[in-house]
Amino acid sequence: MTKPIALEPPAVVRATAPHRRRWLPFDRWHLFLFPFALVMLFPMLWMLVTSIETISEARRFPPVMIPEGIHWQNYPNALKRGAFGTYFLNTFFVTMTVVVGNLVFCSLAGYAFARVKFFGREVVFMLMLATLMIPYQVTIIPEFLIVKWLGTHISPQIGIDSLGALIVPGIVQVFGIFLLRQFFRTLPVELEEAARIDGASRLGVLFKIVLPLSLPALATLAALTFLWTWNDFLWPLIAIMSPEHYTIQLGLMNFQTAHTTSWTLLMAANVMSMIPLLIVFLAAQKYFIQSVATSGLKG
Amino acid sequence: MKRMWLGLVTVFVLLATACGGGGGGGGESTSGGPSGGPVEIVFWHGNTDLALTQMNKLVKEWNAANPNMQVKPVYYGSSDRALTKVETAVASGVYPDIAYLYGSWAANIATSPALLTLNDFIENDPTFNWDDFWPAERFAATVNGKIIGVPALVDNLAIVYNPALFDQANLPYPSPDWTWDDFRAAAKALTDPATKQFGWAYPADASEDTVWHWEAMLWEAGGDILNADNTEAVFNSPQGVQALTVLQDMATVDHSIYIDTTNSKIQDVFNAGKIGMLVTGPWDLPGFKNVDYGVQIMPSFPGGDHETISGPDNWVLFNNGPDRAKAAFEFIKWYTDPEQDIQNALYTATLPIRQSELDVAGYQTFLDKYPGIQTFVENEQNALKARPVTPKYPMVSEALGQAIVSVLLGKADAQTALDQAAQAANAALAAP
Amino acid sequence: MEATGRRRAPLWLRAVHSDHVAGWTLAGPAIFMMALFSIYPVIWSVILSFQRKNLLSGESQWIGWENYEALTKDPIFKTALWNSAKYTALFVPLSIIAGIFVAVAVNRKLRLMAFYRLAVFVTLAISTISTAIMFLWLTEPTYGIINAFLHALHLPEQQFLADTNEALYVIVAMTVWGWLGFVVIIYLAALQGIPQELIEAAQIDGASRWGIFRNVTLPLLGPATFFLVVWLTINALQLFDEIYLTTKGGPLYSTTVIVYYMFVQAFQNFAAGYGAAMAYVLFALILVISIIEFVVGKRLVHYSA
Repeated sequence: MTKPIALEPPAVVRATAPHRRRWLPFDRWHLFLFPFALVMLFPMLWMLVTSIETISEARRFPPVMIPEGIHWQNYPNALKRGAFGTYFLNTFFVTMTVVVGNLVFCSLAGYAFARVKFFGREVVFMLMLATLMIPYQVTIIPEFLIVKWLGTHISPQIGIDSLGALIVPGIVQVFGIFLLRQFFRTLPVELEEAARIDGASRLGVLFKIVLPLSLPALATLAALTFLWTWNDFLWPLIAIMSPEHYTIQLGLMNFQTAHTTSWTLLMAANVMSMIPLLIVFLAAQKYFIQSVATSGLKG
Repeated sequence: MKRMWLGLVTVFVLLATACGGGGGGGGESTSGGPSGGPVEIVFWHGNTDLALTQMNKLVKEWNAANPNMQVKPVYYGSSDRALTKVETAVASGVYPDIAYLYGSWAANIATSPALLTLNDFIENDPTFNWDDFWPAERFAATVNGKIIGVPALVDNLAIVYNPALFDQANLPYPSPDWTWDDFRAAAKALTDPATKQFGWAYPADASEDTVWHWEAMLWEAGGDILNADNTEAVFNSPQGVQALTVLQDMATVDHSIYIDTTNSKIQDVFNAGKIGMLVTGPWDLPGFKNVDYGVQIMPSFPGGDHETISGPDNWVLFNNGPDRAKAAFEFIKWYTDPEQDIQNALYTATLPIRQSELDVAGYQTFLDKYPGIQTFVENEQNALKARPVTPKYPMVSEALGQAIVSVLLGKADAQTALDQAAQAANAALAAP
Repeated sequence: MEATGRRRAPLWLRAVHSDHVAGWTLAGPAIFMMALFSIYPVIWSVILSFQRKNLLSGESQWIGWENYEALTKDPIFKTALWNSAKYTALFVPLSIIAGIFVAVAVNRKLRLMAFYRLAVFVTLAISTISTAIMFLWLTEPTYGIINAFLHALHLPEQQFLADTNEALYVIVAMTVWGWLGFVVIIYLAALQGIPQELIEAAQIDGASRWGIFRNVTLPLLGPATFFLVVWLTINALQLFDEIYLTTKGGPLYSTTVIVYYMFVQAFQNFAAGYGAAMAYVLFALILVISIIEFVVGKRLVHYSA
């Protein structure tokens, strides 16, 4: 590889280069990060501000950034507009199932594509990737037809107008397989080989060695899958026929007509819908810490 | 190890399917027993917000009074998402009983085998009163003699102006006998670059919105869009050029138009008091909370009239068997009855779909709630022509839309743009 | 399971334990699900591309290659191809560069790091509609903030989305911004996998920060970069939502990209067959580009040490 690794690191190891004069009372990266973060957060701030305004304030322009008062009523009012409790439960159930399903199936498949040389591996992988190259507008109607078939021939729980219809098509996604394939390949293969020589099965290697080292990638996969499933709108619109099975995104449509939008209520509902996403992210980002354990080899 | 995981995965999948929500008996072909049994009508609508609450109220009323004909409302999205859902329905054979279809889809749904043509239903029902609907609505719901739906919504275009800005500029308000020259002069006087104020605003995203605003002007000049049997474009006539030249001059010479190429800001800018006049429909009125407004009918050209353009949509019925068809017809007849519709109009700020609604008790409440809407109602009588009901219309519209935008942006002059558009339109009309 | 050095297991047992069986068993469920939900849609839509079909009226007519031939003569389709290419060629590199930079910036043990990371992630969680509305306001030619700034700095005001020459670039900016969270989160995860020892060793050897980055970090980010280049290219060539929510392909087709034009044909002109043909031309294009990326990637990307 590159340079030889010293066996005995010196006593003091610093993350920054030594002998740097400190001009500022804080790390200079803050100079970039803080304004950058504010810019990134700007739309969220705008949403929050709109969600606590009155309607006439929201219709004003240039858009008001500092509202006159805090109109908290928008939140309970938004909840009253639809059975959001049901929508939340539906969305939560569907999303959690899809996330777990992806974590399981994509790990298995990702590992196979990364480390197991099996017949047709590259071709099959390319074919899978190819399924992403067709715009969804083209495939949405035949997908509905498949789900309809599944509903009549296998089980109504996965047919049209069921939560199963929202789960099954997305329970394993190429994104996860591709992502994990890449990450698994960056791990030192010697660890795995050593374990196999010691008699471990493929699955054993996967669960005991590979996955524990891939927590950041798994956290990423979980967070992104959660996000995309939570925010999916078009497929639930097509596949669901009964209000009892609506997801939150469908419920949000309660606030928009063809010509007007109840901006304040819509933003309030959007903010509430985003909270689980932010919680999931905060949990996932705990895995994004430098894990010294990844370096297990010398020489 | 392998077995354990296989087992876990199996259990998991089973759990997931078992808990997969209640119901979902595979689409719409549930219920509807033998003749006379209780029937469930599936009703696809695009109502949200207050209109939704109002609709639910009516549906509840109906369901209570008609235990044999239960209505199940389902929200189906709007515009192209709704179209996807309807097309999915047609492709899969899983249709609702009633769906809200935009007027522009009428020509296409007409030949669908799933459609329930209403001519017989209407003729056999003496109390239905087809002629009570406005002429523009009846035209939009009839394709080659087939009545393909019950009118659901009607509107038209008129001038909505900001009296305060007129007062500031010492201008008289728009009058019923204005010509486009008067309109242009007023717009010019109301434009002030220093305060970023415009006399007029025009949606310039090349969509049907762009096109139908201009089509009203075309008719006011005495022109037509297509010839009588919809085979040739005739909008590049002298009348068409006259109508488009007004736009050209206002945009490129006077600079009195707020040209919104994303068609997203016009209402907000008017609401902020920065635009003197809009040409728009009644649906916008509830949104103007921060300004006072006035309503006036469209201007005309010398020798023309104050025609306007109307954009009706329809409730289309699908054929799910005679029992459900009959129930669906009964329901939609009741729903579009003056007594019920005036309640809906109160929340949607759209016009009464039946002419007899003007005599109903709730009509005055409706007028009071939306100042200026009476002008729109009366303006419906100026909707003398309608857009061609042909499956090719979207292509014609696209050609026109690009032409109008290129003129507004100063990239072409009216005659050339219209001639090019006519060429494109004719090619589309000639293609199979 | 075999122990080394003992007698060899029988052939059938060896076959069952072979890599081929193992591979297919592990990847089997995923492959099955993918196949289930993609084979039929592909067949359905390929057939559609050989038809003239109106999905609303249900009328259909077999016309063979006519749709594909018509595409070769369609000037707007050519414009769409060109716009898609321009867009992708700008979007992918800009996203990657911006992403690496921000990911390195937030991969540090600073105070407020959770806040910074949250800020980046928020852009992902916010719906495309909200982002689009925000950009529409910012870039509004008459009343928008950006022009107000330019005016204050005595710079010429721009028409942005209303200008046929600028609109596509505004869309690039809007989408780079929108995708930043995604790119950063992938790179962040990749950065976690870089052994600290390598960095420290390079520092001890006296390498500069830029040198460390160029010779240690960047190559180790190869697999992630490869993933992102492929993923972003596939998505960029299928750009739709942002166009639909802002410019509707205009002004005058300057932001018409392939999928948007396909949408117009299929959902406004009711020419679903023509739209499907377009989708498959796009598919072929994406496939070719992806294969090229894979071939190049095989040569340039290092995997594990």
